[in-house]
Amino acid sequence: MITERQEELATLHALGLLEDAEQRALAGELAGNAELAALITLLDDTAVQLTLAAPTVVPPAGLKNRILEACTEPGRSAAAAPAEAPVVGFPLWRIAPWAMAAALMIAATWLASHNLSLQSENDALRTERKLAEIAYQAAQAQLKERSLLAEGMINDLGHQLHEQQDLTRLKVTALASLAGNTPEAQAIAVWDPSRETGLLTVDKLPAVRENQDYQLWVVDPAYPNPVDGGVFKPGADGHVVLTFKGNKPIKSVAAFAISLEKKGGVPKAEGPIVLLGKVPPI
Amino acid sequence: MLLVSVLSLGFCGLCAPRGDTSRTGRVTMGNASQPSDDNRHAAQRALLAAMARGERNALAGLYDQLAGPLYSLAFRMLGDNGEAQDLVQDIFLQVWRSAATYESGRGSVFSWMATLTRNRAIDRIRMRKRRGELLGNAAPELQPSALGGEEDSAGSLWLREKSAAVRSALAELAPDQRQAIELAYFSGLTQQEIAAKLSEPLGTIKARIRRGLLRLKDRLPARL
Repeated sequence: MITERQEELATLHALGLLEDAEQRALAGELAGNAELAALITLLDDTAVQLTLAAPTVVPPAGLKNRILEACTEPGRSAAAAPAEAPVVGFPLWRIAPWAMAAALMIAATWLASHNLSLQSENDALRTERKLAEIAYQAAQAQLKERSLLAEGMINDLGHQLHEQQDLTRLKVTALASLAGNTPEAQAIAVWDPSRETGLLTVDKLPAVRENQDYQLWVVDPAYPNPVDGGVFKPGADGHVVLTFKGNKPIKSVAAFAISLEKKGGVPKAEGPIVLLGKVPPI
Repeated sequence: MLLVSVLSLGFCGLCAPRGDTSRTGRVTMGNASQPSDDNRHAAQRALLAAMARGERNALAGLYDQLAGPLYSLAFRMLGDNGEAQDLVQDIFLQVWRSAATYESGRGSVFSWMATLTRNRAIDRIRMRKRRGELLGNAAPELQPSALGGEEDSAGSLWLREKSAAVRSALAELAPDQRQAIELAYFSGLTQQEIAAKLSEPLGTIKARIRRGLLRLKDRLPARL
Protein backbone atom coordinates (compact mmCIF):
# COMPACT_ATOMS: atom_id res chain seq x y z
CA MET A 1 0.00 0.00 0.00
CA ILE A 2 1.47 3.31 -1.06
CA THR A 3 0.22 6.43 0.64
CA GLU A 4 -0.43 9.75 -1.01
CA ARG A 5 2.52 11.20 0.84
CA GLN A 6 4.80 8.50 -0.54
CA GLU A 7 3.43 9.12 -4.03
CA GLU A 8 4.10 12.80 -3.59
CA LEU A 9 7.69 12.20 -2.49
CA ALA A 10 8.22 9.78 -5.38
CA THR A 11 6.92 12.23 -7.98
CA LEU A 12 8.98 15.09 -6.56
CA HIS A 13 12.01 12.82 -6.62
CA ALA A 14 11.42 11.92 -10.25
CA LEU A 15 11.45 15.60 -11.18
CA GLY A 16 14.44 16.38 -8.98
CA LEU A 17 12.38 18.64 -6.73
CA LEU A 18 12.97 16.99 -3.37
CA GLU A 19 14.34 19.18 -0.63
CA ASP A 20 16.77 17.83 1.93
CA ALA A 21 14.16 16.95 4.54
CA GLU A 22 11.98 15.28 1.92
CA GLN A 23 14.98 13.39 0.61
CA ARG A 24 15.57 11.97 4.07
CA ALA A 25 11.88 11.23 4.50
CA LEU A 26 11.78 9.32 1.24
CA ALA A 27 14.86 7.33 2.16
CA GLY A 28 13.11 6.39 5.40
CA GLU A 29 9.92 5.39 3.60
CA LEU A 30 11.89 3.30 1.15
CA ALA A 31 13.35 1.00 3.76
CA GLY A 32 11.90 -2.41 3.05
CA ASN A 33 9.19 -1.01 0.81
CA ALA A 34 9.65 -2.73 -2.54
CA GLU A 35 6.38 -1.39 -3.88
CA LEU A 36 7.50 2.17 -3.32
CA ALA A 37 10.90 1.42 -4.87
CA ALA A 38 9.17 0.08 -7.98
CA LEU A 39 6.97 3.16 -8.17
CA ILE A 40 10.02 5.41 -7.97
CA THR A 41 11.61 3.52 -10.82
CA LEU A 42 8.52 3.90 -12.97
CA LEU A 43 8.15 7.57 -12.19
CA ASP A 44 11.82 8.21 -12.93
CA ASP A 45 11.34 6.56 -16.33
CA THR A 46 8.23 8.61 -16.93
CA ALA A 47 9.98 11.85 -16.04
CA VAL A 48 12.87 11.12 -18.39
CA GLN A 49 10.41 10.66 -21.22
CA LEU A 50 9.36 14.29 -20.77
CA THR A 51 12.60 15.03 -22.59
CA LEU A 52 10.79 14.13 -25.78
CA ALA A 53 8.12 16.74 -25.09
CA ALA A 54 10.62 19.45 -25.88
CA PRO A 55 10.02 20.96 -29.32
CA THR A 56 12.28 19.29 -31.83
CA VAL A 57 15.32 21.34 -32.73
CA VAL A 58 17.99 20.01 -35.07
CA PRO A 59 21.51 20.42 -33.70
CA PRO A 60 23.77 22.69 -35.76
CA ALA A 61 25.64 20.91 -38.52
CA GLY A 62 29.09 21.54 -37.10
CA LEU A 63 28.38 20.21 -33.63
CA LYS A 64 29.00 16.59 -34.45
CA ASN A 65 32.43 17.25 -35.94
CA ARG A 66 33.32 19.48 -33.02
CA ILE A 67 32.50 16.71 -30.59
CA LEU A 68 34.36 14.09 -32.58
CA GLU A 69 37.42 16.31 -32.83
CA ALA A 70 37.33 16.94 -29.10
CA CYS A 71 37.37 13.20 -28.42
CA THR A 72 41.05 12.78 -29.12
CA GLU A 73 41.69 10.57 -26.17
CA PRO A 74 40.31 7.07 -26.27
CA GLY A 75 37.48 6.25 -23.92
CA ARG A 76 38.20 4.43 -20.76
CA SER A 77 37.58 0.72 -21.07
CA ALA A 78 37.95 -2.32 -18.99
CA ALA A 79 40.35 -3.73 -21.57
CA ALA A 80 42.49 -0.63 -21.39
CA ALA A 81 42.80 -0.82 -17.64
CA PRO A 82 46.38 -1.39 -16.50
CA ALA A 83 47.26 -5.00 -15.88
CA GLU A 84 47.56 -6.05 -12.29
CA ALA A 85 51.10 -6.08 -11.01
CA PRO A 86 52.58 -9.50 -10.20
CA VAL A 87 52.42 -10.34 -6.52
CA VAL A 88 55.83 -10.95 -5.04
CA GLY A 89 56.08 -12.69 -1.70
CA PHE A 90 57.83 -10.74 1.05
CA PRO A 91 58.16 -11.98 4.65
CA LEU A 92 56.65 -9.52 7.10
CA TRP A 93 59.44 -9.88 9.69
CA ARG A 94 61.92 -8.44 7.25
CA ILE A 95 60.19 -5.11 7.09
CA ALA A 96 59.30 -4.89 10.80
CA PRO A 97 62.46 -2.96 11.86
CA TRP A 98 62.10 -0.61 8.93
CA ALA A 99 58.44 -0.12 9.74
CA MET A 100 59.27 0.72 13.36
CA ALA A 101 61.99 3.14 12.28
CA ALA A 102 59.64 4.75 9.84
CA ALA A 103 56.95 5.01 12.52
CA LEU A 104 59.42 6.64 14.93
CA MET A 105 60.56 9.03 12.24
CA ILE A 106 57.00 9.95 11.42
CA ALA A 107 56.16 10.42 15.10
CA ALA A 108 59.24 12.59 15.66
CA THR A 109 58.46 14.64 12.60
CA TRP A 110 54.89 15.05 13.71
CA LEU A 111 55.93 16.13 17.22
CA ALA A 112 58.44 18.61 15.85
CA SER A 113 55.89 19.94 13.46
CA HIS A 114 53.28 20.14 16.20
CA ASN A 115 55.73 21.95 18.49
CA LEU A 116 56.56 24.45 15.79
CA SER A 117 52.90 24.88 15.14
CA LEU A 118 52.21 25.55 18.84
CA GLN A 119 55.10 28.01 19.05
CA SER A 120 53.86 29.77 16.01
CA GLU A 121 50.37 29.82 17.47
CA ASN A 122 51.75 31.18 20.76
CA ASP A 123 53.66 33.94 18.96
CA ALA A 124 50.58 34.78 17.00
CA LEU A 125 48.54 35.00 20.20
CA ARG A 126 51.14 37.24 21.86
CA THR A 127 51.24 39.52 18.87
CA GLU A 128 47.49 39.56 18.85
CA ARG A 129 47.44 40.48 22.54
CA LYS A 130 49.95 43.28 22.02
CA LEU A 131 47.94 44.63 19.18
CA ALA A 132 44.83 44.46 21.33
CA GLU A 133 46.60 46.37 24.14
CA ILE A 134 47.78 49.03 21.72
CA ALA A 135 44.30 49.31 20.33
CA TYR A 136 42.93 49.59 23.89
CA GLN A 137 45.38 52.33 24.82
CA ALA A 138 44.68 54.19 21.63
CA ALA A 139 40.98 53.91 22.31
CA GLN A 140 41.47 55.18 25.86
CA ALA A 141 43.54 58.15 24.67
CA GLN A 142 40.96 58.92 22.08
CA LEU A 143 38.23 58.69 24.66
CA LYS A 144 40.11 61.01 27.02
CA GLU A 145 40.73 63.48 24.24
CA ARG A 146 37.10 63.41 23.30
CA SER A 147 36.11 63.77 26.93
CA LEU A 148 38.25 66.89 27.29
CA LEU A 149 36.89 68.26 24.09
CA ALA A 150 33.37 67.62 25.26
CA GLU A 151 34.10 69.22 28.61
CA GLY A 152 35.47 72.31 26.88
CA MET A 153 32.46 72.48 24.67
CA ILE A 154 30.16 72.20 27.66
CA ASN A 155 32.05 74.98 29.46
CA ASP A 156 31.87 77.19 26.39
CA LEU A 157 28.19 76.55 26.12
CA GLY A 158 27.82 77.38 29.83
CA HIS A 159 29.68 80.63 29.36
CA GLN A 160 27.63 81.52 26.38
CA LEU A 161 24.46 80.73 28.25
CA HIS A 162 25.66 82.69 31.24
CA GLU A 163 26.54 85.63 29.08
CA GLN A 164 23.18 85.47 27.43
CA GLN A 165 21.56 85.39 30.83
CA ASP A 166 23.73 88.34 31.88
CA LEU A 167 22.69 90.25 28.82
CA THR A 168 19.05 89.69 29.64
CA ARG A 169 19.70 91.04 33.10
CA LEU A 170 21.44 94.20 31.93
CA LYS A 171 19.46 97.43 31.92
CA VAL A 172 20.20 99.76 29.06
CA THR A 173 19.07 103.31 29.00
CA ALA A 174 19.56 106.20 26.57
CA LEU A 175 19.94 109.56 28.27
CA ALA A 176 18.43 112.63 26.60
CA SER A 177 18.92 116.32 27.05
CA LEU A 178 16.39 117.49 29.56
CA ALA A 179 16.40 121.22 29.15
CA GLY A 180 17.88 121.55 25.72
CA ASN A 181 21.13 122.70 27.14
CA THR A 182 23.04 119.81 25.51
CA PRO A 183 20.92 119.02 22.44
CA GLU A 184 23.60 117.16 20.54
CA ALA A 185 24.85 115.07 23.41
CA GLN A 186 24.24 111.33 23.23
CA ALA A 187 24.63 109.11 26.27
CA ILE A 188 23.92 105.46 26.96
CA ALA A 189 24.08 103.88 30.40
CA VAL A 190 24.25 100.10 30.89
CA TRP A 191 23.60 98.80 34.39
CA ASP A 192 24.35 95.31 35.69
CA PRO A 193 22.11 94.82 38.73
CA SER A 194 23.91 91.69 39.91
CA ARG A 195 27.26 93.46 40.12
CA GLU A 196 25.80 96.92 40.85
CA THR A 197 28.11 98.46 38.30
CA GLY A 198 27.45 100.34 35.12
CA LEU A 199 29.05 101.56 31.92
CA LEU A 200 28.42 105.05 30.62
CA THR A 201 29.20 106.12 27.07
CA VAL A 202 28.77 109.78 26.18
CA ASP A 203 29.38 111.63 22.90
CA LYS A 204 29.32 115.28 22.00
CA LEU A 205 28.98 116.41 25.56
CA PRO A 206 29.98 120.12 25.82
CA ALA A 207 33.20 120.85 27.59
CA VAL A 208 33.04 122.33 31.05
CA ARG A 209 35.10 124.90 32.81
CA GLU A 210 38.10 123.94 34.86
CA ASN A 211 36.23 124.37 38.10
CA GLN A 212 33.30 122.27 36.99
CA ASP A 213 32.60 118.53 36.53
CA TYR A 214 29.75 116.48 35.22
CA GLN A 215 28.30 114.24 37.93
CA LEU A 216 26.40 110.99 37.29
CA TRP A 217 23.40 110.11 39.46
CA VAL A 218 21.69 106.76 39.89
CA VAL A 219 18.06 107.14 40.84
CA ASP A 220 17.04 104.37 43.22
CA PRO A 221 13.49 104.57 44.64
CA ALA A 222 14.85 103.14 47.85
CA TYR A 223 16.59 106.42 48.61
CA PRO A 224 15.06 109.87 48.86
CA ASN A 225 17.87 111.42 46.83
CA PRO A 226 19.73 110.12 43.75
CA VAL A 227 22.82 108.17 44.59
CA ASP A 228 26.17 109.61 43.53
CA GLY A 229 27.70 107.68 40.61
CA GLY A 230 30.93 109.71 40.33
CA VAL A 231 32.21 112.71 38.42
CA PHE A 232 33.85 112.98 35.02
CA LYS A 233 35.08 115.41 32.45
CA PRO A 234 34.68 114.77 28.74
CA GLY A 235 37.59 115.09 26.36
CA ALA A 236 37.93 117.71 23.70
CA ASP A 237 35.66 115.72 21.40
CA GLY A 238 33.02 115.39 24.08
CA HIS A 239 33.55 111.64 24.30
CA VAL A 240 33.62 109.76 27.59
CA VAL A 241 33.53 106.05 28.46
CA LEU A 242 33.55 105.19 32.10
CA THR A 243 32.47 102.49 34.45
CA PHE A 244 30.61 103.64 37.49
CA LYS A 245 29.27 102.41 40.77
CA GLY A 246 26.92 104.04 43.25
CA ASN A 247 28.39 105.21 46.53
CA LYS A 248 25.51 103.34 48.20
CA PRO A 249 24.15 99.89 47.55
CA ILE A 250 21.70 100.03 44.64
CA LYS A 251 18.65 97.79 44.86
CA SER A 252 16.92 98.92 41.72
CA VAL A 253 17.53 101.58 39.13
CA ALA A 254 14.71 103.84 37.96
CA ALA A 255 16.78 106.37 36.02
CA PHE A 256 20.17 107.85 35.33
CA ALA A 257 20.94 111.56 35.32
CA ILE A 258 23.95 113.72 34.61
CA SER A 259 24.23 117.17 36.17
CA LEU A 260 26.77 119.91 35.91
CA GLU A 261 28.36 120.46 39.30
CA LYS A 262 31.33 122.12 40.84
CA LYS A 263 34.62 120.35 40.53
CA GLY A 264 34.83 117.20 42.59
CA GLY A 265 31.09 116.76 42.76
CA VAL A 266 28.53 117.26 45.46
CA PRO A 267 26.72 114.80 47.81
CA LYS A 268 23.37 115.97 46.57
CA ALA A 269 22.61 117.30 43.08
CA GLU A 270 22.69 121.07 42.98
CA GLY A 271 23.53 122.08 39.44
CA PRO A 272 21.47 121.80 36.28
CA ILE A 273 20.52 118.34 34.96
CA VAL A 274 21.91 118.09 31.45
CA LEU A 275 20.96 114.51 30.55
CA LEU A 276 18.32 112.18 31.92
CA GLY A 277 17.19 108.69 31.02
CA LYS A 278 14.57 106.49 32.63
CA VAL A 279 15.18 102.76 32.90
CA PRO A 280 12.27 100.88 31.34
CA PRO A 281 10.63 98.34 33.63
CA ILE A 282 11.13 94.71 32.53
CA MET B 1 23.45 19.92 -8.52
CA LEU B 2 26.00 17.19 -8.50
CA LEU B 3 24.05 15.86 -5.57
CA VAL B 4 20.92 15.92 -7.66
CA SER B 5 22.73 14.10 -10.43
CA VAL B 6 24.01 11.48 -8.07
CA LEU B 7 20.64 11.08 -6.48
CA SER B 8 18.88 10.89 -9.80
CA LEU B 9 21.21 8.22 -11.06
CA GLY B 10 22.24 6.56 -7.87
CA PHE B 11 19.15 6.73 -5.76
CA CYS B 12 17.46 4.24 -7.98
CA GLY B 13 20.16 1.83 -7.09
CA LEU B 14 17.84 1.23 -4.17
CA CYS B 15 14.96 0.65 -6.51
CA ALA B 16 13.91 -2.33 -8.47
CA PRO B 17 16.06 -3.18 -11.49
CA ARG B 18 14.87 -1.50 -14.65
CA GLY B 19 14.69 -4.74 -16.45
CA ASP B 20 11.96 -5.86 -14.09
CA THR B 21 9.05 -7.09 -16.16
CA SER B 22 6.63 -7.29 -13.27
CA ARG B 23 5.31 -3.76 -13.75
CA THR B 24 1.57 -3.56 -13.83
CA GLY B 25 -1.07 -0.96 -14.41
CA ARG B 26 0.68 0.65 -17.34
CA VAL B 27 -0.54 1.19 -20.84
CA THR B 28 2.12 0.25 -23.37
CA MET B 29 2.45 1.54 -26.87
CA GLY B 30 1.71 -1.81 -28.34
CA ASN B 31 3.52 -5.07 -28.37
CA ALA B 32 4.77 -4.53 -31.88
CA SER B 33 7.06 -1.73 -30.77
CA GLN B 34 8.56 -3.64 -27.86
CA PRO B 35 11.10 -5.75 -29.77
CA SER B 36 12.13 -2.67 -31.67
CA ASP B 37 12.75 -0.78 -28.44
CA ASP B 38 14.75 -3.64 -27.01
CA ASN B 39 16.88 -3.87 -30.15
CA ARG B 40 17.46 -0.16 -30.04
CA HIS B 41 18.52 -0.28 -26.42
CA ALA B 42 20.85 -3.17 -27.13
CA ALA B 43 22.36 -1.31 -30.07
CA GLN B 44 22.96 1.78 -27.94
CA ARG B 45 24.58 -0.30 -25.23
CA ALA B 46 26.82 -1.84 -27.87
CA LEU B 47 27.79 1.62 -29.06
CA LEU B 48 28.74 2.57 -25.52
CA ALA B 49 30.82 -0.56 -25.16
CA ALA B 50 32.62 0.30 -28.39
CA MET B 51 33.19 3.85 -27.14
CA ALA B 52 34.71 2.40 -24.01
CA ARG B 53 37.20 0.69 -26.30
CA GLY B 54 38.01 4.03 -27.90
CA GLU B 55 36.06 3.63 -31.14
CA ARG B 56 35.13 7.07 -32.37
CA ASN B 57 32.77 5.71 -34.97
CA ALA B 58 30.61 4.45 -32.12
CA LEU B 59 30.47 7.95 -30.70
CA ALA B 60 29.37 9.24 -34.10
CA GLY B 61 26.67 6.57 -34.21
CA LEU B 62 25.39 7.44 -30.75
CA TYR B 63 25.42 11.10 -31.68
CA ASP B 64 23.26 10.39 -34.71
CA GLN B 65 20.74 8.62 -32.55
CA LEU B 66 20.54 10.85 -29.50
CA ALA B 67 21.91 14.28 -30.29
CA GLY B 68 18.53 15.44 -31.60
CA PRO B 69 16.44 14.91 -28.47
CA LEU B 70 19.28 15.88 -26.15
CA TYR B 71 19.92 19.10 -28.05
CA SER B 72 16.18 19.83 -28.10
CA LEU B 73 16.04 19.33 -24.34
CA ALA B 74 19.05 21.55 -23.78
CA PHE B 75 17.66 24.23 -26.05
CA ARG B 76 14.23 24.03 -24.42
CA MET B 77 15.74 24.48 -20.99
CA LEU B 78 18.42 27.04 -21.75
CA GLY B 79 16.75 28.93 -24.59
CA ASP B 80 20.11 29.62 -26.16
CA ASN B 81 21.74 27.93 -29.15
CA GLY B 82 25.30 28.46 -28.02
CA GLU B 83 24.71 27.20 -24.52
CA ALA B 84 22.74 24.22 -25.79
CA GLN B 85 25.62 23.29 -28.12
CA ASP B 86 28.18 23.59 -25.35
CA LEU B 87 26.05 21.51 -23.07
CA VAL B 88 25.48 18.71 -25.58
CA GLN B 89 29.16 18.67 -26.41
CA ASP B 90 30.00 18.38 -22.71
CA ILE B 91 27.57 15.50 -22.32
CA PHE B 92 28.93 13.51 -25.26
CA LEU B 93 32.50 14.11 -24.09
CA GLN B 94 31.58 12.97 -20.60
CA VAL B 95 29.93 9.86 -21.97
CA TRP B 96 32.96 9.23 -24.20
CA ARG B 97 35.24 9.34 -21.20
CA SER B 98 33.00 7.38 -18.83
CA ALA B 99 31.41 4.94 -21.24
CA ALA B 100 32.94 2.06 -19.35
CA THR B 101 31.09 3.04 -16.18
CA TYR B 102 27.63 2.73 -17.71
CA GLU B 103 25.46 0.11 -16.03
CA SER B 104 22.60 -1.13 -18.13
CA GLY B 105 20.65 -2.16 -15.03
CA ARG B 106 20.09 1.47 -14.17
CA GLY B 107 18.20 2.47 -17.27
CA SER B 108 18.58 2.96 -20.96
CA VAL B 109 21.44 4.89 -22.52
CA PHE B 110 18.96 7.55 -23.51
CA SER B 111 17.64 7.86 -19.94
CA TRP B 112 21.18 8.14 -18.64
CA MET B 113 22.19 10.83 -21.09
CA ALA B 114 18.90 12.70 -20.81
CA THR B 115 19.28 12.81 -17.04
CA LEU B 116 22.85 14.05 -17.38
CA THR B 117 21.75 16.70 -19.86
CA ARG B 118 18.88 17.91 -17.72
CA ASN B 119 20.93 18.03 -14.54
CA ARG B 120 23.72 19.91 -16.27
CA ALA B 121 21.21 22.33 -17.79
CA ILE B 122 19.73 22.96 -14.35
CA ASP B 123 23.24 23.67 -13.10
CA ARG B 124 23.67 26.26 -15.81
CA ILE B 125 20.26 27.78 -15.17
CA ARG B 126 20.96 28.15 -11.48
CA MET B 127 24.37 29.63 -12.13
CA ARG B 128 22.96 32.29 -14.33
CA LYS B 129 22.58 35.67 -12.85
CA ARG B 130 19.92 36.52 -15.33
CA ARG B 131 17.42 33.98 -14.09
CA GLY B 132 14.52 36.34 -14.50
CA GLU B 133 15.42 36.92 -18.10
CA LEU B 134 15.65 33.22 -18.67
CA LEU B 135 12.26 32.55 -17.13
CA GLY B 136 10.74 35.05 -19.49
CA ASN B 137 12.20 33.03 -22.33
CA ALA B 138 11.49 29.62 -20.83
CA ALA B 139 9.52 28.66 -23.92
CA PRO B 140 11.56 30.27 -26.68
CA GLU B 141 10.29 30.64 -30.17
CA LEU B 142 11.89 27.98 -32.25
CA GLN B 143 14.15 29.24 -34.94
CA PRO B 144 12.74 28.28 -38.33
CA SER B 145 16.14 27.22 -39.62
CA ALA B 146 16.52 24.81 -36.75
CA LEU B 147 13.15 23.15 -37.17
CA GLY B 148 12.49 20.03 -39.16
CA GLY B 149 15.06 18.83 -41.61
CA GLU B 150 15.39 15.47 -39.94
CA GLU B 151 16.23 12.63 -42.18
CA ASP B 152 13.54 10.01 -42.29
CA SER B 153 15.83 7.39 -40.91
CA ALA B 154 14.50 4.60 -38.75
CA GLY B 155 15.97 6.40 -35.74
CA SER B 156 14.24 9.66 -36.42
CA LEU B 157 10.93 7.94 -37.08
CA TRP B 158 11.25 6.12 -33.80
CA LEU B 159 11.96 9.39 -32.04
CA ARG B 160 9.04 11.07 -33.74
CA GLU B 161 6.68 8.35 -32.62
CA LYS B 162 7.95 8.50 -29.08
CA SER B 163 7.84 12.28 -28.99
CA ALA B 164 4.31 12.30 -30.34
CA ALA B 165 3.26 9.81 -27.68
CA VAL B 166 4.78 11.88 -24.86
CA ARG B 167 3.29 15.12 -26.16
CA SER B 168 -0.08 13.48 -26.58
CA ALA B 169 -0.01 12.11 -23.04
CA LEU B 170 1.08 15.49 -21.73
CA ALA B 171 -1.72 17.19 -23.64
CA GLU B 172 -4.28 14.97 -21.96
CA LEU B 173 -3.36 16.29 -18.55
CA ALA B 174 -5.30 19.11 -16.94
CA PRO B 175 -3.65 22.37 -18.00
CA ASP B 176 -2.62 23.26 -14.46
CA GLN B 177 -0.97 19.85 -13.98
CA ARG B 178 0.79 20.09 -17.33
CA GLN B 179 2.03 23.57 -16.54
CA ALA B 180 3.42 22.55 -13.17
CA ILE B 181 5.16 19.48 -14.59
CA GLU B 182 6.65 21.35 -17.53
CA LEU B 183 7.95 24.05 -15.23
CA ALA B 184 9.42 21.42 -12.92
CA TYR B 185 11.12 19.48 -15.71
CA PHE B 186 12.27 22.19 -18.08
CA SER B 187 12.81 25.31 -16.02
CA GLY B 188 15.00 24.06 -13.20
CA LEU B 189 12.78 25.83 -10.66
CA THR B 190 12.40 24.60 -7.10
CA GLN B 191 9.02 23.73 -5.59
CA GLN B 192 8.77 27.12 -3.94
CA GLU B 193 9.77 28.92 -7.10
CA ILE B 194 7.13 27.09 -9.10
CA ALA B 195 4.52 27.95 -6.46
CA ALA B 196 5.59 31.58 -6.53
CA LYS B 197 5.61 31.72 -10.30
CA LEU B 198 2.12 30.26 -10.53
CA SER B 199 0.90 32.20 -7.46
CA GLU B 200 -0.39 29.02 -5.87
CA PRO B 201 0.19 27.46 -2.45
CA LEU B 202 3.06 24.97 -2.30
CA GLY B 203 0.70 22.14 -1.35
CA THR B 204 -1.38 22.77 -4.45
CA ILE B 205 1.69 22.58 -6.66
CA LYS B 206 2.82 19.33 -5.08
CA ALA B 207 -0.63 17.84 -5.56
CA ARG B 208 -0.75 18.90 -9.21
CA ILE B 209 2.65 17.39 -9.87
CA ARG B 210 1.70 14.17 -8.09
CA ARG B 211 -1.55 13.69 -9.97
CA GLY B 212 -0.08 14.73 -13.29
CA LEU B 213 3.00 12.55 -13.17
CA LEU B 214 1.05 9.52 -11.94
CA ARG B 215 -1.31 9.95 -14.83
CA LEU B 216 1.57 10.27 -17.27
CA LYS B 217 3.04 7.10 -15.84
CA ASP B 218 -0.15 5.28 -16.70
CA ARG B 219 -0.24 6.73 -20.19
CA LEU B 220 3.36 6.22 -21.25
CA PRO B 221 5.29 3.03 -21.94
CA ALA B 222 7.30 1.63 -19.09
CA ARG B 223 10.64 2.38 -20.62
CA LEU B 224 11.87 4.57 -23.38
